[in-house]
Amino acid sequence: MPSSPGAPSPEELEARIAELRTAVRRAMAAGDRQAARAHRAELRAAEGAWDEAVLGDTALGDTALGDTALGEPAPDETADDAPSGERPAPPPPPRAAVPRGLVPVRERVHQALTLIGAPAAPKLIASVYAAFLPGQLPAARLTSLRRDEERSFRSAPYARPYYLCAALTADLLAPARGLLTVSTWPLEQRISGPLSARTDFLTAAIRIAEHAERRPDSPDVQRLLWRFAANIPGAATGAVGTVEPGALIAAARAELDVHAETDRRQRRRAADRARAQLDDAGRLFGARLRAMRSATGTTDGEDDR
Amino acid sequence: MSMTAPDLDRLRGVAAPRNHDARTIAALTANPGCARRGVMDAAGVDKDAVARHLGFGVPFGQSQFAITRGNTFEAQVKADGCAELLTLLRDRLGLEVPEVAYDDLGAVGDNEGREVRHARTRKLVQRALETGEGTLFDHPLLRLDIAGRPAYLEPDVIAFQLGGRFHIVEIKSFAVIDGQAEADQVAAAARQSAVYVLALRRLVAELGHDPVEKVAHEVFLVCPENFSNRPTATPVDIRPQLAVLERQLARLTRVDTIVAQLPEEITFDLGEALEEAVRTVEARYAPECMSSCEMAFFCRAEARACGATGALGRSVRDDLGGVDSVETALALAEGVLEPSEDLAETAEQLRLAARLRREALAGVA
Repeated sequence: MPSSPGAPSPEELEARIAELRTAVRRAMAAGDRQAARAHRAELRAAEGAWDEAVLGDTALGDTALGDTALGEPAPDETADDAPSGERPAPPPPPRAAVPRGLVPVRERVHQALTLIGAPAAPKLIASVYAAFLPGQLPAARLTSLRRDEERSFRSAPYARPYYLCAALTADLLAPARGLLTVSTWPLEQRISGPLSARTDFLTAAIRIAEHAERRPDSPDVQRLLWRFAANIPGAATGAVGTVEPGALIAAARAELDVHAETDRRQRRRAADRARAQLDDAGRLFGARLRAMRSATGTTDGEDDR
Repeated sequence: MSMTAPDLDRLRGVAAPRNHDARTIAALTANPGCARRGVMDAAGVDKDAVARHLGFGVPFGQSQFAITRGNTFEAQVKADGCAELLTLLRDRLGLEVPEVAYDDLGAVGDNEGREVRHARTRKLVQRALETGEGTLFDHPLLRLDIAGRPAYLEPDVIAFQLGGRFHIVEIKSFAVIDGQAEADQVAAAARQSAVYVLALRRLVAELGHDPVEKVAHEVFLVCPENFSNRPTATPVDIRPQLAVLERQLARLTRVDTIVAQLPEEITFDLGEALEEAVRTVEARYAPECMSSCEMAFFCRAEARACGATGALGRSVRDDLGGVDSVETALALAEGVLEPSEDLAETAEQLRLAARLRREALAGVA
């Protein structure tokens, strides 16, 4: 809704913006794209009015300058990036506009994770993204991602094609600390048993080396590969700091063969238990343990390793 | 000893007991002769609060930069399922390739309660002892009885099991340059590791296994190598520190003899009488206290005020055995004071030193 002739106060506009964002999210969650588009148009208008009301004429030059430098926010940015909780999001400061065409954070994380193919820590995700994909993915921005995703899932289950979710510990089926996964992966792949930290590391090494083989070499990629090669026996064959992807793949496969069978068995058992015990949200984001249950120290997973 | 706990509770007053960590337990061994520290630690007094109340607060704690650096290095070594640590252990210790299991005991699910974590640590250690399962145990929560009160140890440490024998791996961020590290830092790390080894041994003993056999007395210190960020592992034999620690802890449980000599009504409650109460318990100040004890500023002021020789350093105090104050020492050196029989030798040396100084100064003039 464009600003009324009475020129509403910034507070009124902020309330209106928050309201419209919720409406957009609801419409998206319900799958009603038409309504979502209409609400979003209103939202844009309200934001424009807010800019005008707060910054006035003096800021117009600034904003215009900023716009040419940074470009306008991509049209889908707000719908995807806005935190999907009940708390109203503050109106975006106009200067913090994102460059045109930039992919939302969760989309970028998804790309990197798909490339890695195993549960990964934010730091690894960030360096893989930096090495292979355009732009940057600051690891610090990943910290709240999982919580936002969980909130979004709980308020509107399965409204998005995929969620970035937790890896589950094999024993307690609780969210493993600092590991991100994609909800569309098989549950086995998202379980983290005692050996999984290592097998995931080796899996990631193989996947990344395979990807590196298909691309022209770059210092970023070499650095990333070295991180793996230095810590896999027999992988660093050449000079220090240079990695032959083929050798890395062979070495990682050799070590993976040692662990794979045990790890797969542990993961499968844990996944079966997760399917039997947890609801949808629990399977994606981990079981919430109450102190009572864990205080007894007995868990189903401990004995069947 | 059974009498001690209520007495100590009364000493502490209304404040909640402060928990020991490996740092404070290790610090106990740094100055064994200090009754003040012994009593206050045994009673779980918040020494920092006491010192601040007395106007001798420590102006700054541990360096923020040092803490950040330490955390970063630790995160680096543990990244990607302890990839760098595994490489080190494989290179240096011949850890077999299949041994890569990693259990994080930092939290049980999303529960970080101490009892829960300790129960889980206990369970996994027991399983490892019986079946040999598990290799790396990150953040085990151990427990040690200090003066009849269980103290939980929050360790930045990995216990690692090889062939049914546990080793402690301590990650520290000071550099090992050309195979050499700063002696003070290594000593401090060894003292802390000794606390973990002791606690782990107690746990193993509780579980009915031979502690000396199952927990190695060699700890692995993982530090950055030379001027790089690459980790290197050095085995450190901590038997001496372990012996000192055990003796200290045994002595700490005898803290009741010190408490018994204190007046009935004394308490370390923050109030009017606090300073007097603190002064009643004798301290043994040495400059080294500055790096390990919250009360150091207070004790230093006290030691300087009464001219205690300890304020000049431990070696001075030891050289002047029996002479407590600087004033007496000077009087003996100048021959103003006639030494008693047992001080004759010290007095002789002091006079000699005074003569040498006079001659040296006369030579300059």
